[in-house]
Amino acid sequence: MILYTSMPHELVFPTDAAEFSKQKVVTYNGIPLLVEMDGGQDCTVVRVMSSDPTHFMDDKYTPGTKITLA
Amino acid sequence: MGNDKKQNDSLNEQPDQPKEEQPPSLIDKIQQLGQTNVPQLSQDSKIHCLTIVGQIEGHLQLPPQNKTTKYEHLIPQIVAIEQNPKIEGLLVILNTVGGDVEAGLAISEMLASLSKPTVSIVLGGGHSIGVPIAVSCSYSFIAETATMTIHPIRLTGLVIGVPQTFEYLDKMQDRVINFVTKHSNISEECFKDLMFAKGNLTRDIGTNVVGTDAVKYGLIDNVGGIGPALKKLEELIENNKQGNEGIVQ
Repeated sequence: MILYTSMPHELVFPTDAAEFSKQKVVTYNGIPLLVEMDGGQDCTVVRVMSSDPTHFMDDKYTPGTKITLA
Repeated sequence: MGNDKKQNDSLNEQPDQPKEEQPPSLIDKIQQLGQTNVPQLSQDSKIHCLTIVGQIEGHLQLPPQNKTTKYEHLIPQIVAIEQNPKIEGLLVILNTVGGDVEAGLAISEMLASLSKPTVSIVLGGGHSIGVPIAVSCSYSFIAETATMTIHPIRLTGLVIGVPQTFEYLDKMQDRVINFVTKHSNISEECFKDLMFAKGNLTRDIGTNVVGTDAVKYGLIDNVGGIGPALKKLEELIENNKQGNEGIVQ
């Protein structure tokens, strides 16, 4: 099927609301992190949201690492 | 009376009992001795860094697979940077395709009104609404290979129905033009010429300005990367400090 429209893709095919709740911003040890929930309290770091460059040097919070929220 | 006395006795006894038990129970509770892993506060950087990447997200939330910069994340950070006396300067790194005009202008205005020195670097691309964000800082850099697309404001998916909608769009465009001309060395005519140029973007109107050209038009202050940007920021911080000391005296 070819759909010819000037409508943006996200308006024609809206994303499932559950997709949005998968990712959230949490503050972990004082560092704001964008995490993807893996189920329960476990999550994977997607992005470090901090503006402090030293937070990016900490290998405990590099994107891809799994953390458990207390 | 007798009952009261009994109660009093029991009340007196109760606090006594835990007192005797407290010392061992407290020690039992301690599982580990030592320092907690607090993030190293002493190593706090005096220069903070904001990365504006992907799309600038406005009122419409984009699906998580998109890389976005949300203004509700950035604006509190800018407020925190302004308030924290330990932070002396801000480095803004841009690699954005643009996005929501009002969100972009909000970020630009916040950066422009920051009392601390700010330096921006455009790496890769600083397109459309990324242009006002790049020029909002005290000093701007662009990588030699980086580009900036200047084009008129567009609405996707919506058809302009009434002349008022067009007028509203036109006013919104004036806000962008005014901001850019006020915060950079580009003249309004030059910026409008680039914005409405034909033939540069195949069948679209606008111009794709590459590194050195952006400096030539006066849009960006200098060509350079992280090294020159940090050097400039240190210099601005030093000037800012001297200026503040002068006021105190």
